[in-house]
Amino acid sequence: MADLSINLAGIKSPNPFWLASAPPTNSGYQVQRAFEAGWGGAVWKTLGDPILNVSSRFAAINFNGQRVAGFNNIELITDRPLDVNLKEIYETKKRFPNHAIIASLMVEPKQEKWHEIVKRVEDVGVDGLELNFGCPHGMAERGMGSASGQVPSLVEKQTYWVKEAAKTPVIVKLTPNITDITVTAEAAVNGGADAISMINTINSLMGVDLDTWNTIPHVAGKGAHGGYCGPAVKPIALNMVAECARNPRISVPISGIGGISNWQDAVEFILMGAAGVQVCTAAMHHGFRIVEDMIEGLDHYLDSKNISAVSELIGKSVPRYSDWGNLDLHYNITAQINTDVCINCNKCHIACEDTSHQCIDMIKGDNGRSYLKVREEDCVGCNLCAIVCPVEGAITMVEQTSMQPMTWNERQAALNSSK
Amino acid sequence: MSEHEQYLAEKEKIDQLLSEGYNIYHAVENLDGAFVEFFHLKSGTKKTLHIRTANARKYFSSIFIQQKSS
Ligand SMILES: Cc1cc2nc3c(=O)[nH]c(=O)nc-3n(C[C@H](O)[C@H](O)[C@H](O)COP(=O)(O)O)c2cc1C
Repeated sequence: MADLSINLAGIKSPNPFWLASAPPTNSGYQVQRAFEAGWGGAVWKTLGDPILNVSSRFAAINFNGQRVAGFNNIELITDRPLDVNLKEIYETKKRFPNHAIIASLMVEPKQEKWHEIVKRVEDVGVDGLELNFGCPHGMAERGMGSASGQVPSLVEKQTYWVKEAAKTPVIVKLTPNITDITVTAEAAVNGGADAISMINTINSLMGVDLDTWNTIPHVAGKGAHGGYCGPAVKPIALNMVAECARNPRISVPISGIGGISNWQDAVEFILMGAAGVQVCTAAMHHGFRIVEDMIEGLDHYLDSKNISAVSELIGKSVPRYSDWGNLDLHYNITAQINTDVCINCNKCHIACEDTSHQCIDMIKGDNGRSYLKVREEDCVGCNLCAIVCPVEGAITMVEQTSMQPMTWNERQAALNSSK
Repeated sequence: MSEHEQYLAEKEKIDQLLSEGYNIYHAVENLDGAFVEFFHLKSGTKKTLHIRTANARKYFSSIFIQQKSS
C-alpha cells in the first residue's frame, strides 16, 4: 500500500481526505464517526459567536438525472456555544490523536476578538486553524466571511493578528467571490499564513418557483443569495487552486476544496498543487463511507503508477498550466468518426453545422447506407462533436503533423520587433 | 470557396513570393486581417499581401520567425 499520509504546513493526517467545515463536522459525534469511517482530518464547523439560522437552508440542482449536480445553502456558522464545541473537540482529539482536527474560525475583524478565540481553541489541542474569510451569505452582511475575504488588506491584517497569537499552523480559507483569487491568496501569505484553502461557496440563487414565484429555497416567501458548491463548482475551484499553485509569490501549501466527489477529483486537485483536499457536498449527498472508495481508489492509482507516496503527486501538473499566450498556435487535432461504433444519430453533424465549422458531412455510401465523415482540412479541432456524441469511442480527436511550435507571445514578439 | 481553400490560395501567394527571393520584413495587423510586407533585397522591390485567413496568418508569422532566426 502506498503512503497516503500528508503533512500540510505541519498538520499531519493519515490520508489527504478531510471533511470541510460544514454540517458534517458540526459535532463531536459526527467527526468521530467520520474518523471511524476513514477520513484523515476534519475542519470543524466554523466557530465564532453562536448564530441563529433560518429554515429552510439548502437547495440542489438536479441535471439530466444526476441528483445534486450543484448544491446551495444559506446556513451560517455554528449555532452552538464555543465551550460546547471545545469540549467535543477535546474529546475527539483524545480518541483520535493521529487524525487532524482543524478549527475553523470567524469573528469580527478586531485584533482582540481573534486573539481570544485563537487562545481558547488552541487550549483544547487542535492541530491547526482555518480562518473562514469565505462564507458569502449572512455573515458577510455583518462584515465577516467573504466581506473580509474580498478585501486584501483585511485578509492580510486579520491573518497577521491570528499569527500573533497562534501556536499551530494557520490556513486561510479564501472566497471565490472575487475576480482574481491570487490577490487575496498573496495577502494571506503576506499576513503570515502557513497555508491557504479554497474554495468556499459561490454566490448563488438556485431558482425561482414558476407557480408561487418564490425563490428556491425561500424562508416564509423571502429569499436571499446563498453559497453554491458541489460537482458543478469543481472546474472553478480547480482553476483557482492551479492559479495559486503556479504563482511564485504564493509559496505556501494549498488545501483544495470544491466539488470533490471521488478519488479521481482528489487526484486532479493534488496534481494541480493541492497538498490535501476537503470534501463537503459529496459527504452530505452520500454519507461518510464514500471515503472508503476514495482511499482505495487513490491507493490503487498510486500503485498503478508505481508511486510510493501521495506527496509525490503534489503539483505534478502545475508546469503544464500556463497563460493562453504560451500555447502552441500550430498544434492541430482533428475529429475522426469511427463508423463501426457510430449510431448515425447526427448530433455531431448538427452541432458542427449549426454552431461550429461545418465540417461533418452525411455521405451516402455505395451500399446506399449513409455515414458521417469529417472533412479534416476544415476541422479546427474544437472538440464539440466529441463532446455532444452520445457513444463512447465513436469520435476521437487525432493529432495531425504541424509546423514548428509557435506561441502567440512568440509571434507578437517577432512582429513587434519589426515595427 | 471554403476557408481551407482560401488558406491554400493565400499560402500559395506567400510561397510564390518566397520562392522569388522575397523576405517578410514587416506586417501590420488590423480589423481586416494582416498586411504583410515583403522585400526583395537584390532588386529593392517591395510587395504587400493582404492575408485574411487565420491559418495563413499563422503561416506567415512562422515563416517570419524562421527568417529572423536564420
Ligand atoms: C451547508 C453548508 C454549510 C457550510 N458551512 C461552512 C462553514 O461553516 N464554514 C466554512 O468555512 N465553509 C462552510 N461551507 C463551505 C464548505 O466548507 C466548502 O468550502 C464548500 O461547500 C465547497 O466544497 P464542496 O463542493 O465539497 O461542498 C458550507 C457548505 C455547505 C454546503
